[in-house]
Amino acid sequence: MFTHCLLSLLLACSGGEGPTEPAPAPAPAKEAPKANPETPEVDVEKMKKEADEIALVPSPVETQKALEGSGVDTQLATLIPKHQFDLAADNVDHAAVRTGVVLADVLLTVKTAKKGVLVKRVEAVRTGMNQLKGGKDIDLTLVDIKDRLEAEAVTRDDLLKEFDELSGAVIPELEFNGKSRVVPLIEAGSWLEGSNLVARAVKKAGKKEAAEKLLKAPTVVDYFLEYVRTDGSDKAPEAVTKKLEESLLELKTVAEKTEPLSDDDIDTVIRVTNAVLALL
Amino acid sequence: MFRTAMNTALLGLTLLAAGSAPVASADEDEASSCLRTKVWDSYGDGWAVRTLTSTELTNGKTRSYLVSLYAENEYRIATCGDENVKNLDVLLYDTKGNIVQRDDTEDREPLLEFRPPATGTYYVVLYLREPVEGADKAGAAMAVVYR
Repeated sequence: MFTHCLLSLLLACSGGEGPTEPAPAPAPAKEAPKANPETPEVDVEKMKKEADEIALVPSPVETQKALEGSGVDTQLATLIPKHQFDLAADNVDHAAVRTGVVLADVLLTVKTAKKGVLVKRVEAVRTGMNQLKGGKDIDLTLVDIKDRLEAEAVTRDDLLKEFDELSGAVIPELEFNGKSRVVPLIEAGSWLEGSNLVARAVKKAGKKEAAEKLLKAPTVVDYFLEYVRTDGSDKAPEAVTKKLEESLLELKTVAEKTEPLSDDDIDTVIRVTNAVLALL
Repeated sequence: MFRTAMNTALLGLTLLAAGSAPVASADEDEASSCLRTKVWDSYGDGWAVRTLTSTELTNGKTRSYLVSLYAENEYRIATCGDENVKNLDVLLYDTKGNIVQRDDTEDREPLLEFRPPATGTYYVVLYLREPVEGADKAGAAMAVVYR
């Protein structure tokens, strides 16, 4: 009787299903993700090939600041000639370089130019953006800026910020109908205008040592050359493209000099940049 | 009034950039918006923007930018990471691959201030050193400002 009871209890405890399965082994602790090194592995050659060039080219206003820092207090805006641009020329290279020049003029004069002059320059930028198929948004933005400028509903300080942002953040991101060389050529136009004005300012001030810090930019010239040499069905007539390439090659020779720049070098910069600007 | 007009203009430009950029993920937009506000505010201290751009970074990977800097100017490399970033690093290299300057903070908005000893070319490198748990990619924005 006692044995029977004990057997019943044992059966009850075991659930009546025979021997129990061994408990599954606990899951291995989740490995903490491996921390990245403090300093990334950087391959210089790879970096050279893959680096984004969107931030390479200094703005004309930045160049003006550096010029002042070099002891040349000439305001570049006062040296801007009355350009006689062919606003009807709408092939990509011509329109892009010309638009870059006008954009530089806007940036340099936005705080000082008379309203009528500035409105004309904004309108010229707008014409170029439309020829380059910059899109409806940039057109509306430029119309809005022009309207506020005409109505004196915007301060010049704010206008400078807006054009800084247009030039440094908005235009470089535009697609321009898939034409990758439009942005570099706009930048080339702004940079050529800036280089022309800097060289003339340095010459006028008789401070050629300032040219060392401002005109020696071979990396920037190489960047432009790459795009000028890119073939495209809608390239500008040779008159523009060939002259642009020749000028950039001459500027590169000056920019790569290891010895201090001479008066002749500064004259070369003025001559070759004048030659390109005259074609626009 | 002044501030309102400025913000309206900024909003318009921000929308323009967002609407026209080839590919702008939501994360990049968040990073850009953060940085745009910072850059805009810094104009009061005499800073001005050369470039503002955004990108997507993968955990442990970098994105490099070629920049030319003038000897006479003072520069800031300002950045913002989106909410997927725990630690974003920014480093400045010379063209030989030597680190010229780097941030030593553990945050998602590192900043470098640099006055070049000579006019020259450098590389700005953004490095997603640590994303937040569960994230493998993040949006980041970078601006070069000067004064």
